[in-house]
Amino acid sequence: MKMVLSQRQREELNQAIADYLGSNGYNDALDVFRKEAEVPTEIERKYRGLLEKKWTSVIRLQKKVMELESKLNEAEKELIEGAPTKAKRTPTEWIPRQPEKFKLTGHRATINRVVFHPVFSMMVSASEDATIKVWDYETGEYERTLKGHTDSVQDIAFDAQGKLLASCSSDLSIKLWDFQQTFECIKTMHGHDHNVSSVAFVPNGDFLLSASRDKTIKMWEVATGYCVKTYSGHREWVRMVRVNFDGTLMASCSNDHTVRIWCLNSKESKVELREHDHTVECISWAPESAAASINEAAGADNKKGQHQGPFLASGSRDKTIRVWDVTSGLCLFTLYGHDNWVRGIVFHPGGKFMLTASDDKTIRIWDIRNKRCLKTLAAHSHFCTSIDMHKTHPYVISGSVDQTIKVYECR
Amino acid sequence: MSINSCCVPCEKPDLEDDRWMAIHKRFLQDCLEKDPEIVFIGDDILEGLVSTEMYRSFEDMHVLNFSIRGDFIENILWRIANGELEKVKPKIIVLNCGTNNTPTNTAEEISEGIMQCVEEIRKKRAGSFIILLTLLPRGHKPNPLREKIDTVNSIIQEKCHGLQKVQIIDISKGLVQNDGTISHHDLYDYLNLTNAASKKLFEPVLDVLNQILNENEKELLTPSE
Repeated sequence: MKMVLSQRQREELNQAIADYLGSNGYNDALDVFRKEAEVPTEIERKYRGLLEKKWTSVIRLQKKVMELESKLNEAEKELIEGAPTKAKRTPTEWIPRQPEKFKLTGHRATINRVVFHPVFSMMVSASEDATIKVWDYETGEYERTLKGHTDSVQDIAFDAQGKLLASCSSDLSIKLWDFQQTFECIKTMHGHDHNVSSVAFVPNGDFLLSASRDKTIKMWEVATGYCVKTYSGHREWVRMVRVNFDGTLMASCSNDHTVRIWCLNSKESKVELREHDHTVECISWAPESAAASINEAAGADNKKGQHQGPFLASGSRDKTIRVWDVTSGLCLFTLYGHDNWVRGIVFHPGGKFMLTASDDKTIRIWDIRNKRCLKTLAAHSHFCTSIDMHKTHPYVISGSVDQTIKVYECR
Repeated sequence: MSINSCCVPCEKPDLEDDRWMAIHKRFLQDCLEKDPEIVFIGDDILEGLVSTEMYRSFEDMHVLNFSIRGDFIENILWRIANGELEKVKPKIIVLNCGTNNTPTNTAEEISEGIMQCVEEIRKKRAGSFIILLTLLPRGHKPNPLREKIDTVNSIIQEKCHGLQKVQIIDISKGLVQNDGTISHHDLYDYLNLTNAASKKLFEPVLDVLNQILNENEKELLTPSE
């Protein structure tokens, strides 16, 4: 980019430089510069701080331009492609649509996690107000509050049948709640030395895993409440733990910038995935149905180099989403688009899309095959902390620091 | 030589409601749960920033704000010494303190106290970038405290020179009008920021914080050929 300044511009620039040199005490340079550039000694008021101003405003403007351009792109895309007509759409193409069906209020602080009940038309939210609330996502009705934790509830998880809910909290405890009849806390487990940030059931429901700021992951026997195993390896706060569909592997992510894969029956971590440049906030195992689109996105040759999987997606504070082949330990591709930390990630059950929630206050729907953001929903007025999509019904839910939960219907 | 009260960490005397200590304890609790990129630590000015629109932009950068209205430098020193930077690892710490010391201490004492805060922060968090904000002028008309504040600002500017990972940002410019008065449109009680003034004075701070946070990111904004 070649640039030529007009004479007047050059004079202005020189004055601005002289002002910069003067106001920063570079007096020798100023003297020489004055002589060489023939700048008058008296510098007009309007040149004060001009150089610094230009220096920063260029960046501000570029940022603004980029924002506007991406908005325009989005609008054009919507106009030209639009959404496929209702008749053409199959459940595998359902994506959440604005406006939301319900905006649920009631929590008195940040919502840390939202999850669907696997069977009933019920969803559950965990909040910094130390409570867990149960809602009906089809009617938008509030059902009940589970009280027991004494500090921020960080994560919640249902077992496969939805008979038990596990929760973990900054009060260092893990609790099990009965979801068949009583909705009471039936067990409290202690053992971590710091915040418990995440919980997940092993698919058969016999064991529960928990991750903590104390850098460990623990396995608990559900029937007895005993801690049966401790996994160490992460060098920092472990953010999330998730078990794969057959219950042989678990993935964990941490402030140490890594994702680790563990065999549940061994204590050692099997693979360490390191590509992210910042804390990895969230992970999600890809369902079987996503294998084809992930392979296509990775550019694998169908004849030989098909990636076997299982596949895992991770979202990070470095604003990116990465998709990994866990067997080979390779990062297959990276998705860019969010402008702030990526906090939540879930695969569309149809396998074609991935949904993410971010501190940029949006939810994004990613077209896996084409590695691009298909749609952006301006979802909340503050950080979006969590997202979940129902496995069989066309619903998506999100939670936010703005203390609200949104229920989106998919069409 | 008498002892400089600004440099002796001490608790704020309890007004029999235990508020100050309760706030401090809540900050410690925040340290356990939150994982901020930026920590603000200070007095009325940074506390007041929370209720301005400008603060939303800071929030987006993952901030914890450990500022208490009415704090003296020595109170902030006590809070630093008693755990407020213990469990968090922010990339940047923004410090603004001293205005409440201006009626009682000399400019030299105040600047010494501020620099001790910088030192103590450095001891606790060796890797963090420290952004020191200059004191804001106060009072409707020119007054002795404003002169003292000017002196403090020039001393700390000088002392920060050459310190590693310490940057001083002068936020005091543009408040005093040509006739020497400060408008209540800027400082509504001639001490605390209005919405408008916070935008004017803290936009450059926001820019600098953004630059530091995104330094390691792939540079998208480089002018290209």
